[in-house]
Amino acid sequence: MLAKEIERAGIPTVFVTALPTVATMIGVNRNVHAPAITHPFGLDGSERRRIVERGMEMLQADVTPTTVWEVA
Amino acid sequence: MVKAVHYLNQFFAGLGAEEAAETEPTRLDGAVGPGRGLQAQLDGVEIAATVACGDDYFAEHEDEALDRLLALIEAEQPAVLVAGPAFGSGRYGYACARVVAAAAERGIPAVTAMHPENPGAGAAGRALVVPTQVNVAGMREALPVLGRLASALAAGRELGSPDEEGYLPRGFRRNRFAEQPGAVRAIDLLLAKLGGEVRSEVAAGFDRVPPPAPVQDLGTALLALVTEAGCVPQGNPDRLPTIRARGWLRYPLEGVESLSPEAYESVHGGFDVTLANEDPNRLVPLDTVRALEREGRIARLHDAFYTTTGNGTPVESATRFGREIAAELRDAGVQAVLLSGT
Amino acid sequence: MRRDRGRDLRVPRLPAGRVTAFELASFPADLLAVDRGRIERLVTDEPALAGVEVEVVAPGAPVRVTHILDAVEPRIRPDGRPAFPTEGRAGTGRTNRLDGVAVLSCADFPGEERPLHEQESIVDLEGPGAALTPFGSLTNVVLDFEPAEGVGHFALDEAVRRVTLAVAELVAEPTLAAEPEEIERFELGPGDEELPAVAALIQLSDLGQLYYQYLYGTPVGQAGLPRALDPAELLDGAVTCGEYHWAALRNPTLFFQRNELVRALYSEHGNRLRFAGVVLTRGYEQTAEDKQRAAERAADAALALGADGVVITTDAGGNSHTDTMLTCRACERAGIKTAVIVAEMADPEATSPGLTDWVAEADCIVSAGNAEELVDEWMPARVLGGETLLDGTPAAAAGRVPVRNYLGATNQMGQGALQATAW
Repeated sequence: MLAKEIERAGIPTVFVTALPTVATMIGVNRNVHAPAITHPFGLDGSERRRIVERGMEMLQADVTPTTVWEVA
Repeated sequence: MVKAVHYLNQFFAGLGAEEAAETEPTRLDGAVGPGRGLQAQLDGVEIAATVACGDDYFAEHEDEALDRLLALIEAEQPAVLVAGPAFGSGRYGYACARVVAAAAERGIPAVTAMHPENPGAGAAGRALVVPTQVNVAGMREALPVLGRLASALAAGRELGSPDEEGYLPRGFRRNRFAEQPGAVRAIDLLLAKLGGEVRSEVAAGFDRVPPPAPVQDLGTALLALVTEAGCVPQGNPDRLPTIRARGWLRYPLEGVESLSPEAYESVHGGFDVTLANEDPNRLVPLDTVRALEREGRIARLHDAFYTTTGNGTPVESATRFGREIAAELRDAGVQAVLLSGT
Repeated sequence: MRRDRGRDLRVPRLPAGRVTAFELASFPADLLAVDRGRIERLVTDEPALAGVEVEVVAPGAPVRVTHILDAVEPRIRPDGRPAFPTEGRAGTGRTNRLDGVAVLSCADFPGEERPLHEQESIVDLEGPGAALTPFGSLTNVVLDFEPAEGVGHFALDEAVRRVTLAVAELVAEPTLAAEPEEIERFELGPGDEELPAVAALIQLSDLGQLYYQYLYGTPVGQAGLPRALDPAELLDGAVTCGEYHWAALRNPTLFFQRNELVRALYSEHGNRLRFAGVVLTRGYEQTAEDKQRAAERAADAALALGADGVVITTDAGGNSHTDTMLTCRACERAGIKTAVIVAEMADPEATSPGLTDWVAEADCIVSAGNAEELVDEWMPARVLGGETLLDGTPAAAAGRVPVRNYLGATNQMGQGALQATAW
């Protein structure tokens, strides 16, 4: 799973996924819950901005392992 | 009569106790210490050499110690490598595990023995681990099992299941036909669980990576975009497979402000890509990230994005792709990644 | 038995004494009579089909069948109602079945453009792959359909399904004039209240046409799932298959008609458990919210049946496993104990786990087998369905074939005994 290997290299990574249970099973640490499989970064620009901003917040946050954040 | 090599730590090799824990990798003739008891349990196999290393030396110089030990082992051209038993000793168990794992990877059948909760017990890769008691009182019990398995490995005999043969499951999954269909087994397990006894035929078990420290300030950081959603240039020029991808690809983003549907598409075979193809930014949010770049919220976006299709990709492949991509990102000085997947 | 619920819910019960009586009458396979003329006339009526080759293959013949879309058990009702109804209710009265026979439909979809990409689906009637599916011990009526020139996928699919179900009824006609070997009666009287109540949560799929199952002819995504169903309806043709991906992990029509889980629960009713009923759930909900909401509604439906425990089944692969795991979590949180059936996708040469998804509440999982394992090479004497596999290799000499290509080999309703073990 890509996210974990990039994390293993020391680079904070946020995984934007509609299936956070898969990600946490595998052990991905920073997860943002995407709205759908077909469009993880949302349908329109404003939704996309909210998701990306949440991801940026998470990149700059200390997290406990396998954390999932929702998007407002 | 074929040859075996036996790996021991400084103590069991008779080189001294804690004060000898810095002993460098070394070779001794024939069987030494518990190796003599092991020899008596081997069938058609002779311990030609014993290879030893201090537990501290191994811990402090792992890669180098491993290289030197493997060189000593391979020089004997053994039919099998045996390490330990390490019982509950953590550093020793870990060293045994690493040595047998490396040997097995190089085609030398290998077996070690230690307590199941020894940190090394999960680190032996394809090599066998025989469970033992937690301290040396378990030597008498461990050696016959170790001897039998080592002899079997040396002879190239096909092994039975972990239960049958007395080794710990290594994490491989192998099919067989149970006595009952799955439906009946499910009812049995559920009724047992309702009665207070929880059993499972499968356990999820993935290793854990501690979360890397957060980015101090994205306004001064280099961010990269990666996707497992199969986003590629229109026409899939490099033929990224829709399922079970055998690789990953890198595409330039210099001068690209947004992923247009004319220029990009998704070839992921595990979901309906209609919405993604209408606007590929829904998979790789380039338009938004460029805007944030212009606003100074992110210092810079890396000049390429990485893509693969995470559809039915075996874990080992995904792991390898991840390592390769991670190495490139690190070399490029990337400090943060946004990754999209299904 | 005391049930400790996290919620205070009034649980409606089946009225005491109500029975759902369904009779399944079994007739021997030698009554099978395949009228090729009638089958060809069915095909002539379908503009999407240019023709069909019909082969009747004896059990255990050295034959490999490829491009299989569905497998259906021959069924017909003495009262004249359809065996695969699209209205009314199945699972009452009597239905005749031909024992030991399956109708297999085969077709290759022309063209490349599809929203998803289906995978090969084969059955070996002999050899090392034979035990992976039930068809090696059956007489198989193989329908190899030829698509009309320029036909679209959906039209082809509809025609194939129509004809296949019609053939399944047609070849069972001789049973109407014969005596059954056995009559099974499926009914659920009120059970001993002391026994635990167990329900089956059975997952069906909907990822668009070519990738769904049908409930009374309606694609399951439009059938108001999750919803309770009388278990006898499931055994009596209410659910049919139109799903063509994930061969080993999906469920053809026959697996519902012969559903081992439902049959076993009927048989255990009054012994070790009370059979509380069946809830059909939908896999492949496409948004996070939909998945979560559907999982919670499935748990509510199980509570409404009074279930103390549920067996949760899965259909196909990929994110349907997430629906399974979320349903497991929702049930456990509602105080219902769960056992989950899933197939594994573990690289046989690697020591990494093979679960597609998992939640901490899934502590009781039945393995349907590892779909990634390879089956030793076998050269059939004959190939039906298609000479070339979808990946371009010749079907008669395909080398080692992964379990994942064998129809229903790792089905996740517990039809077979394949299981992956720790090694």
